[in-house]
Amino acid sequence: MDLQFLYSLIVGVFIGGVAGYLGFLMITKRMALVGDALGHAALPGIAIALIYGFNPSWGAIPALIVGILLIWFFEMHTKLPMEALTGIVFTASVAIAFLFLPESEVSTALIGDISKISFSDTIFSVILSLIVFFILKKIFSKMILASLSEDLARVEHVDTKKYNFIFLLCIAIVVALGIKVTGSLLMGALVITPAAAARNVASNLFQYSFGALIIGVISCVLGILLFKVFALPAGPFVILTASLIFLISLIFKKQ
Amino acid sequence: MPEDLILKVENLNVELGGERIIEDLSFALKEKELLVILGPNGAGKSTLLKTLLGLIPYQGLIKWKENLHLGYVPEEFVIPGNLPLSLKEFFQFKKERPEKISQALGWVGIEASGKFLEKRLCTFSSGQLRRTLIAWAMSDEPDVLFLDEPMLFIDIHGRETIYDSLVKIWESKRQSIILVSHEIGEVCKKADKILALNKRKLFYGPPEEIITPQNLAKIYGSPISL
Repeated sequence: MDLQFLYSLIVGVFIGGVAGYLGFLMITKRMALVGDALGHAALPGIAIALIYGFNPSWGAIPALIVGILLIWFFEMHTKLPMEALTGIVFTASVAIAFLFLPESEVSTALIGDISKISFSDTIFSVILSLIVFFILKKIFSKMILASLSEDLARVEHVDTKKYNFIFLLCIAIVVALGIKVTGSLLMGALVITPAAAARNVASNLFQYSFGALIIGVISCVLGILLFKVFALPAGPFVILTASLIFLISLIFKKQ
Repeated sequence: MPEDLILKVENLNVELGGERIIEDLSFALKEKELLVILGPNGAGKSTLLKTLLGLIPYQGLIKWKENLHLGYVPEEFVIPGNLPLSLKEFFQFKKERPEKISQALGWVGIEASGKFLEKRLCTFSSGQLRRTLIAWAMSDEPDVLFLDEPMLFIDIHGRETIYDSLVKIWESKRQSIILVSHEIGEVCKKADKILALNKRKLFYGPPEEIITPQNLAKIYGSPISL
C-alpha cells in the first residue's frame, strides 16, 4: 500500500468519524443544513488555497470565520431569521469564489480531492479531529438538554450562549477538514447522512452518537477504497456509501 | 433579610415585547414553604416563575438566599419525534446513579425496573413524560422546587400520587416549593400561602383566607366553587 493512500485512509477515518459524531448533535439541534451552508461559505477560501497550492482546509478556516461573523453581525442588526441570513452569506460566497476559481480546480473545490495529502496535513487533521471529538463529547449532554429546553438548561447552570458558540466553532473546524474529503458541495452530507442513518436504528443516545461516528468512518473508508479501485474522486463515493447505509437503516428503523 | 426568608420580591415589574406582564408585585418565600401561584391563563404566572429563576430581565428587587440549589419543571417540555434518548440517559445529564433514579421515579409513582430505564422518552405518554420530568427535577433534592403546571396531561389518579409524594417530600425535607397552577386543586388546601395573580397581585395569604367564592370570582372573572 503506498504512503499517499495510507494518509488518505487515516484522514478519512478521523474526519469521517468526527463528522458523524458532530452530525448527531446537529440533527438534534435542528441545524442539519448548517454544514451545507458553511461548506459553501468556505468556497472563497478554498479557491485561494487552490490557486496558491496549499491545503484547501487552511483556506477554508478564515473564510468560514468571516462567514460566521457576517451572519452574526447581520442577525444583530436585522430581525431576519438566521436561515435567511445564512442563505444570503453562503450564496454570496459561492458567487465571489466563482469569479476567480480557476476552471481546472472547480471539481476539487466542489467535490474534494483526497489523493494529495501530505504527512503534516494528515497529522493536523488527526489532531484537530481528536480535539473536536473530545470537546463535543464534553459538551454533549449540555447541548442535548439545551435543545430539549433552553430554560431548563439555564436553570441547571448551562451557559447556552457559550456552548452554542463552542459548537459553531466545532462545526466550522469539521467543515474545513471535511472539505478536503468531500469538497464544498458534498460537505453537508458528510455530517448529516451518517447521523441520520444512526438515528433510524438507535435505541439510545450512546448508540446514536457512536453509531453516527462508526457509519461516518465506514463511509469514508469504503469511499476511499472505491476511489482507489475506480480512480474516480473519493468525495462522491464517500457520500454515496453513506447514503446507501442510510437506505439500509430504513429497513431496520425503530418504531 | 430575616433568617428564615429565602426569597424576597419587591416592586417587581416585567415587560415582554412592550407589554407589561407583571406589575408592581411584592411577596416573600420562607424556608419549607409551599407557595401556590394561582390565576387564569395569561395572568403572568409562568413569566413570574421564569423571572424568579433569572431567565427573564426585570425591574425591581428579587433577592434569593445565597447558595440555593433550584429545581425546575417547565410548562413546555417536548421530546422531538423519535429522538433516541433513554430514561437513564436523561437522568445521567444530572449524573444520577441508577438507585437514585429509581428512587426519584418512585416519588412520582413510576416503578422503574432496569428494563424500564432503557426505554426511550419519545415513546412515553404526555403524562408519563410529565411525571418523569418532575422526578428529574426532584432527583438531586433542590432547596427550592419550581413547578409550572405540574399536573398538565396527568389523570386524576396520577395527580393524587404526585400531590401526595410532593407533600410527603416537602414535609420530610427542608425544601420550599413554588407551584404554578391555573386551576384550584387539592394542592391549594395544603399550601402555606396562595398568591393569586392577574398581572397585579390580587390576593396573597393562607388558603383559608384566599379560597373563598367571592375571591375566586374575582380571580377568574366568574363564580367558581370547589
